[in-house]
Amino acid sequence: MAKSHDGIHILQGLLVFGNVVIGMCGIALTAECIFFVSDPHGLYPLLEATENDDIYAAAWIGIFVGFALFALSIIGIVGVIKSNKTLLLVYIILMLITYAFEMASCITAATHRDFLTPNLFLKQMLERYQKSETENNNDKWMTEGVTKTWDKLMLQKQCCGVRGPSDWQEYTSAFRVTHKDADFPWPHNCCVMDARGSPVNLDGCKLGVPGYYNSNGCYDAISGPMNTHAWGVAWFGFAILCWTFCVLLGTMFYWSRIEY
Amino acid sequence: MCSRWVVLAFCCLGQLCADQSLKPQTVAPQLATNNPTLTTIAIEKPFCMFDSSLRPNKSYVIYLYAMKESASVISSLVTDNNNKPLNSTFQQTSGGQLGPYKAASFNVPNCASPPKLADVGDVNKVSDILKQYLFRVGDDATCLYDPNFLAVCNPPLAPDTTYRFKYVLVDSTEGIMKDQTLWSDPIKTRRVKLPLKIDTWPGRRSGDMIVITSILSVLMFLLLAGLLASVSSAVMGSEDSSGETRGMSQTIQQSEPRPQLSSE
Repeated sequence: MAKSHDGIHILQGLLVFGNVVIGMCGIALTAECIFFVSDPHGLYPLLEATENDDIYAAAWIGIFVGFALFALSIIGIVGVIKSNKTLLLVYIILMLITYAFEMASCITAATHRDFLTPNLFLKQMLERYQKSETENNNDKWMTEGVTKTWDKLMLQKQCCGVRGPSDWQEYTSAFRVTHKDADFPWPHNCCVMDARGSPVNLDGCKLGVPGYYNSNGCYDAISGPMNTHAWGVAWFGFAILCWTFCVLLGTMFYWSRIEY
Repeated sequence: MCSRWVVLAFCCLGQLCADQSLKPQTVAPQLATNNPTLTTIAIEKPFCMFDSSLRPNKSYVIYLYAMKESASVISSLVTDNNNKPLNSTFQQTSGGQLGPYKAASFNVPNCASPPKLADVGDVNKVSDILKQYLFRVGDDATCLYDPNFLAVCNPPLAPDTTYRFKYVLVDSTEGIMKDQTLWSDPIKTRRVKLPLKIDTWPGRRSGDMIVITSILSVLMFLLLAGLLASVSSAVMGSEDSSGETRGMSQTIQQSEPRPQLSSE
């Protein structure tokens, strides 16, 4: 009798501890996903224009799942301490639903990260950057987003093109339609700028003299934050789900053994 | 015998070397990495190429002629019968298709003190160095459409086309050609690809995605199985115990907060 009481207490203690961890992880997940959704690097317009912004959808789901995990963990703690069978059943079912949503979020983030290749951004940059004739409001919105983002990116990260400035020379583009190659072999934001925001030496930049133009590509500056975003959502969610799996199994076992 | 052939070989090599330096060259790729572009080609100015023909107390000017390589079968003459350099323009020769056109005219570069290319990193000197050292054919995108433009027009070249260039030394008072270089080697402008052709297919699935998906699917299945098992065992357990409690209703305490797990 004493042993089974000890066993019960140990199991209760473990479940309470498990739920406390779930609650804290839920808050951490919410905070992390809010951080990603707030787009600190300003790269969302690029994703929006590719019409493949599902890593943001995964982060949005993560915000709500985090809250749900926190609330459910409190229910779980109360249910385990009071050994209330109804409460625990509610807890288990709602937890399973939350589990399913979080699973969807993780898989979405991991899968859609794979679509963000250099070629995707290259094609989008060539087709949308400084496009002069837009077909409808949606096109106009996306074009403005892409143009502003690229201008900011090239200035702040001192880079040019996706793989390098030669992207502008190898491919024709919407930019090339309105800007002649003789004056703009690449956008002027690719040039090294002085303190006032104008190129240090425009001829040197146009000729490609080292030191007067940005010779590295912007892909690292784009993929770095996006990788952090996708992997942060996917792998942290995965870790939470592995822990929640154990706690849920323990709760189910506990629930099945409660006598009224 | 052998020594005579060797001397002859060296002489030929010397001639070749001398001839090589009498052609316009493109700028060194270390200096101008973006050359040739779609519509421009940057070539070195003729340093020390005409020194043997320069006479003191006379003023000279250098003309640059450009033509498409296909025009060499039609005409590659840059002077008329009186040895005067032609005044052909870009429009007259259809962009160098019918013959050479005059693309530039500038002073003879200073052979004695050429620009120091090592100083190109200095922001204050780079403009002058570039101006003295090279000439960018195709630099002026507006002169063709400007009716007030009176100087030598240097409009952008055609993409994916081979061009050849020649420098001509002209005596500015007499207006007669004094010397000329050979036609340069053919230089081709860039060719562009369409962005439609870029393949955006991501390729294979990454390892992360496969791990996450497979493990989470298995865990979800195990959870659902666990739920079924616990519900069914709870249902079966309640059927058994409902049979027992009829007999033991006096001993069970309802309000006891501590749970009583069924003994295995």
